[in-house]
Amino acid sequence: MSKSTALNNILSDARLYRRLIAMQIRSQLQYKANVLVDIVTYFCVTGLEFLTTLLYFVPFPTLLGWHVGEVALLAAVTSFSFGLAELFGAGLDVFEEIIRRGEFDRVLLRPVHALILVASGEFRLRRLGRLTQGVLGFVFALILLHGIRMTMLKLLALLLGIASGSLIFISILLLGATMCFWTVQTTELTNILYYGGREMLSYPISIYNQAIQSILLFVFPLAFGTYLPTCYLLERPLPLGLPTWVAFLSPAVALAFAGVAVWMWGFGVHHYESTGS
Amino acid sequence: METMIEANELSKSFHIARRRPGLLGGLRSVVDPQVRVVEAVQALSLRIERGEMIGLIGPNGAGKSTTIKMLTGILMPSAGLVRVAGLDPQRQRRELAGRIGVVFGQRSQLWWDLPLIDSLRLLRHLYRVPEERHEANLEHLREMLDLSEFIDTPVRQLSLGQRMRGDLTAALLHDPELLYLDEPTIGLDVVAKARIRAFLRTINAEQGVTILLTTHDMDDIEMLCKRMLIVDHGRKLYDGTIDDIRLRFGGKRTLIAECGPADLVSLPRDEQGLPTLPALPAGVCLAKVEAPRIWLSFERDAIPAHELVAWFGARYTLRDVTFQEPEIEDVIRRIYEEGLLLSD
Repeated sequence: MSKSTALNNILSDARLYRRLIAMQIRSQLQYKANVLVDIVTYFCVTGLEFLTTLLYFVPFPTLLGWHVGEVALLAAVTSFSFGLAELFGAGLDVFEEIIRRGEFDRVLLRPVHALILVASGEFRLRRLGRLTQGVLGFVFALILLHGIRMTMLKLLALLLGIASGSLIFISILLLGATMCFWTVQTTELTNILYYGGREMLSYPISIYNQAIQSILLFVFPLAFGTYLPTCYLLERPLPLGLPTWVAFLSPAVALAFAGVAVWMWGFGVHHYESTGS
Repeated sequence: METMIEANELSKSFHIARRRPGLLGGLRSVVDPQVRVVEAVQALSLRIERGEMIGLIGPNGAGKSTTIKMLTGILMPSAGLVRVAGLDPQRQRRELAGRIGVVFGQRSQLWWDLPLIDSLRLLRHLYRVPEERHEANLEHLREMLDLSEFIDTPVRQLSLGQRMRGDLTAALLHDPELLYLDEPTIGLDVVAKARIRAFLRTINAEQGVTILLTTHDMDDIEMLCKRMLIVDHGRKLYDGTIDDIRLRFGGKRTLIAECGPADLVSLPRDEQGLPTLPALPAGVCLAKVEAPRIWLSFERDAIPAHELVAWFGARYTLRDVTFQEPEIEDVIRRIYEEGLLLSD
């Protein structure tokens, strides 16, 4: 019985989250032209970012054995996964601001989990610009990689990887947000992992030394997101000599990492000191 | 009667860490914080019964908000015990949140860009209110607060008074037992204020909603609350009725008498050339003369008002008489400024 109540709670939380997002979308659609300009602008910015990543291949044919199409695929998939995280977790990115404006008090006065309200609070349609870029980048990469062998298993690994990657990015934002409870300015630290992580994972991580690779795998397991599944898809060996099946561990690792982040968040909420008045 | 809020020796001190700039500074602040301690609330005890309407007043920074945040479970007290509606606000914050309503006068909980009705509908899901009950409550509040004319208007286009009516509806849709209001009439015009006050009286009387409100407007307190609580510097200064506080700390009352046209023209003058009244009873003094009116101020316990009227009437032609009670604002200001410690 308690199991079914727990499940019911999760389902009703999910429905509530969907409704909150719907409110956000309706709010933004009050200014339709604005939204359109924002999406197009963001698409251009992220598209430029994508092309810059590939500039390396103008003078050089390969990067540690990786071809332009392969790196394009990696960058596109990472960008898409990051885009999902931005879309659904952006409220965490601006959490410091939410605390400073005193809005978190209002969140704590609701009978639902604070994370649902915080995460849904900054849902912005313009983030669709990056997702569009990710999809087009993916198609572009497939064209460059013509003749790549796709299997159901590869597709599965890719989809799980994208979802896991988003979850890991969101968890990093959540850890950053949690630190705001101790009124410590940590945006730089979070940015290194969040934006820096995205940049690093857009290239083969074998270009970094072993220590950095280990951090990306075992401390902040960003590489478990899209990187390992993409390696699997491209039939490339996994970093640090990991066996191929590890590429399928992404969801487990992501959930575990998210679990730690959520636990720390809960701990932080209890240390919340609010603003003056 | 059942107790709604009980706080025992509640204290809250803030440890304010100074941030150092930059990444290394941020890290250094983690291991070696520079901390300043601020005592926001000190040993505050308080008991509020179900169905009361009580005003919490105090100057800015007195600890009102901090107290309310501890009562709602947002903040963890540094010491002391709290129970609200039979729950421990810190451990059962979400359960408690479903049973209380909160309105911040200066900060709306409504979705700015959407019609009011959209926010009100969403709240049903946020508070998991059964549809029938939600509809019934909405219908009831819609009538009482006259929402129909603007319920389909985006919140950003509402007047302040309309927005406040919307916010009150939003706070009451889930049938809260307890309502916290933080400056509910701030910035409203006279008509809107009167309307909000009448509404609060009704839900308090008819639905038995316990109401705790903070305000800087003493009219709110006088018109709504039998009981009030004054806090300053994190301490409770006073807990009792307004009449009582006026009696004990009210200072002087004023009698304003209108006399015959010839009466006040030839008053004797003192050395400074100011008019005086000969043989005034003890404890009464002449405050102002503007023929044909005269202002006499007197201590409440120095002379009964009717005796003063009789004394005056025996000597002058009395056309009309009015009394001015000490303004409660003045009383409160004196309490803040002179730091009269009233809790005994």
